[in-house]
Amino acid sequence: MKRRLLAVLTFAILLPSVSVLLTAGVGIFQHQRAIQTVARTYVQDLAESTASRVEMGWGLTESLFSAKPPSQFGGNRFFAGGVGIPGWIAVLDSQGRVVMSTPGAQILAKLWQPQMPIGQAIETKNEEDEAFTVAVYPAGTTGLFVIAAVSWKELLGPMLRFGLLWPILVGLVGLAGLVGVYALWKAVISPLKSLEEEVSSLEWGKDLPNPRDEAAVAEIGKLREEFFHLAQTAIDRATLWKRYALDLVRVQEDERSSLARELHDGPLQDVTAMIQRARLAAIADTEEAGRTRHLDLLEEAAQSAVREIRSLCDELSPPWLELGLAGSLTELAERLSRQLGIKILVEADSGVAEDLSKERIIALFRVAQEALHNSARHGGAQEVSVRLFREEASLVLELEDFGSGFDVPADLARLRVLGHRGLANMEERMALVGGILEVESTPGQGTRIRARVPAE
Amino acid sequence: MGIRVVIADDHPMTRAGLVATLEREADFEIVGTASDGIEAWRIIREKTPDVALVDIRMPGEDGVSLVRRVKDSGLPVSSLMLTSYDAKQYVMASLRAGAKGYILKTASPEDLAGAIRTVAKGGIYLDAEISRVVGGQEIVPEALSNREREVLILTSKGLSSKETAGHLFISERTVQTHLASVYDKLGARNKTEAMLLALKYGVMTLEELIE
Repeated sequence: MKRRLLAVLTFAILLPSVSVLLTAGVGIFQHQRAIQTVARTYVQDLAESTASRVEMGWGLTESLFSAKPPSQFGGNRFFAGGVGIPGWIAVLDSQGRVVMSTPGAQILAKLWQPQMPIGQAIETKNEEDEAFTVAVYPAGTTGLFVIAAVSWKELLGPMLRFGLLWPILVGLVGLAGLVGVYALWKAVISPLKSLEEEVSSLEWGKDLPNPRDEAAVAEIGKLREEFFHLAQTAIDRATLWKRYALDLVRVQEDERSSLARELHDGPLQDVTAMIQRARLAAIADTEEAGRTRHLDLLEEAAQSAVREIRSLCDELSPPWLELGLAGSLTELAERLSRQLGIKILVEADSGVAEDLSKERIIALFRVAQEALHNSARHGGAQEVSVRLFREEASLVLELEDFGSGFDVPADLARLRVLGHRGLANMEERMALVGGILEVESTPGQGTRIRARVPAE
Repeated sequence: MGIRVVIADDHPMTRAGLVATLEREADFEIVGTASDGIEAWRIIREKTPDVALVDIRMPGEDGVSLVRRVKDSGLPVSSLMLTSYDAKQYVMASLRAGAKGYILKTASPEDLAGAIRTVAKGGIYLDAEISRVVGGQEIVPEALSNREREVLILTSKGLSSKETAGHLFISERTVQTHLASVYDKLGARNKTEAMLLALKYGVMTLEELIE
């Protein structure tokens, strides 16, 4: 049905049109035949009756007939009156000359042809191509002929005209319908089809459809415009994501290289020194004092290696995260408090985050870590309050500082592309564990960040 | 009679090193070693040692849970936490679970032996490295008021200021004022340090913390 809409529409318009045309045509044909029969009978009867009157009334006064002008004959009055329907009667002699006639019957002389059959009506045409039905009848033995005719034009003109107008009107209606269907096709169905084809073959985030279709109706044009905008947005998004992914890869590589550098400069040097000292101690076995010194230095290098690896571990993924969120936040606050030289107050209601999944603990921990660094580094805060509490069905981690604050951008994700990863990272981490990040800040008044996850 | 010790550590090298270190001490008797928490629990139940030297991170059951299990069982076993991590929250968690002491794996053999002797006698041992971070030189702290002690104990148990306030029917602000005073008297910079120093100076006992 959907695909055959055009055919159905065309058919629905053509079927009644054609059937009306056909029935009207048949009607008109039948009508014409009936009129023809009537006209024939009429002129035949007219010619015959006139012929018998001519024969009876003045059949023997042939001489008088020829001597006197036709108007003086007894039949004068009959002829002068004319006939009831648009037609003419004339009496001709054998040479075809008009002896008597009804008014306007000169036309009959022109229609007369010697080879015309006698007593039988026929259709004929004059020089102006007008149709007539004509009948010729001999008036007994007088040698005269009566010719009678009716004009189709005058007899049937109005009827024919209106009869023919009907199918023409129907035809016009059908034609208008077809034009309508064509317009519908051109302005609605075809643009919809092409839009559908474009949509289905479009590579989302890569291609753009045609923004305009001049042939389409306004509504479809609008639809196409909207679609164009959607595709445009998808491309923008794709571009953003691509840069995003590139940024992620870059950050990862940066972290790896920094880790490798730290391992190389720290523990690797220490362990190398340990090997050296162990060898020195081994060959210095006879000299007691030197041996002890080497072993002392060996232990010193080992202690240094342990400290460095420990701090690397804490930096990468603090093992104390396994102690739960409250403990981790306390540990973090105490470390950062020393490191950044600011006051950090942690308030966690007991047992508030006990059943929290590992993913959420890490996510919230990272948010706190980032936020505390931001408060100190960008906000110049001297004091940050960290609170962990339940609010209805959520667990809320709230960090509030009284630092310099900032204008919160509408789209944190875009910040990443601009190189400001902190807030974007925090938002992503929350989103990944089904939480949300709320950032409130006023320049000059401090910042409040709330990380919210559904309580478990 | 010697001090009977069980060693639980999942690293064979560390385990061997510990055994070698402790065997040098005449008053120690190593009655068993375990490589995971579950095995350790079995041996502790079987041998009832004086001291269980427990690594904080082990497969099967971690050290903190094992220590809590030992405490809950009522066995006369003193747990000493042994670890590579210097995070004070581990100390907090261990002590709250019932450990009598906390020592780093990097401690000297003398310190380790001393720690074992201390906890065997029922004392508390906190690693010098952590104590150093905490306290600096030894001081005799100014005495805490009863309210300050109550606030410190509740806070050390892991209650927030609001919860502590609710417990003592005082305002949150008052709790914070008391805490600030406690920090000041003990020379602590935060709750964790205050708790560790209070234990170290005997201002607060382990029993008060875990009761």
